[in-house]
Amino acid sequence: MSRTGQSGSATVWSLVLFATLALFAAALYTIFVVAPVEQQMGIVQKIFYFHVPSAYAMYIGFFVSAVGSAVYLLKRDPRWDAVAVAGAEVGTLFCLIVLLTGPLWARKAWGVWWTWDPRLTTTLLSGMIFAAYLALRSMGDAGEVEKRFAAGLALLGLVNLPLIHYSVQRWRGVHPTVITGKGGGLESEMYWALGLSFMAFTGLAVLLIWARASLERQRAESARLRLELMHQ
Amino acid sequence: MRALIAALVLGGTMLITPMTLADSPPVPDAGASETQKDAAEERATRFVGVEGPDAESIPGGALLLAAYAVVWALLFLFLKRMRGLQSQTAEELERLSAEIRASKDR
Repeated sequence: MSRTGQSGSATVWSLVLFATLALFAAALYTIFVVAPVEQQMGIVQKIFYFHVPSAYAMYIGFFVSAVGSAVYLLKRDPRWDAVAVAGAEVGTLFCLIVLLTGPLWARKAWGVWWTWDPRLTTTLLSGMIFAAYLALRSMGDAGEVEKRFAAGLALLGLVNLPLIHYSVQRWRGVHPTVITGKGGGLESEMYWALGLSFMAFTGLAVLLIWARASLERQRAESARLRLELMHQ
Repeated sequence: MRALIAALVLGGTMLITPMTLADSPPVPDAGASETQKDAAEERATRFVGVEGPDAESIPGGALLLAAYAVVWALLFLFLKRMRGLQSQTAEELERLSAEIRASKDR
């Protein structure tokens, strides 16, 4: 990348970073000061404001990974492979957040840490698919075969994403349907808290994927140089 | 005919009246406090042990705190890992570039 391009990229990066930090501050204020405590569940319902946007950030990560993998399979361009790895890692991070914050809320709301609800099960399945992707990619310097196989796994993971989203509407389960079409909605202050949190998590996911993809490109360059040295 | 109807009405009245009187609550004594009686009826008269596990109270605040702590802790760990990878890769790139330069000079 040219020096001007790098400088422009750094400026955009800084802008997104500051916007994300400001959004997180605003979201936390709205969640804990402005938004009311939910009538039935009490204060534990405030987990919702980080749990749902984390799930959304997970979708972003996994979707980016699948798109990067598809383009890599078509073009064999290592830059897209780096994007795929970054998306998978960030998506798995947010999936882990969802799978850990969910049970903490469920313990109070449902009385159990875990239940085989369709949405919980499909989310776990997605997490396992992308964990397999990362395990495959973490075995030393991945060769072409490993990269292509991992790309296939990411595409399989993409197929599961609509299942997670629509499982709550299609199948019977215990997951709340508050903000879906059939849901009863939220108080206006709750919508504000959720909206700010959604924007903050989107910024965070973009920043993390961007940074991780850049790092992955450097690692690919390092692997290329190592190979070059071996052949000298 | 009139005598027959009158006899039926009289007979029916004689049959129904004792049953109605039996179902109706006793007339309170004059001067008794109605509110005192209700309060007395609401008092517990029996304690019953719980069968199975004790009823529990789940602390919502602690769960909320744990959930938000999990989010920040995982983000922190991810950033720490990225920073480690970044410095490791930068060092390796520098070392490899130097080695390549040295091999070209030879």
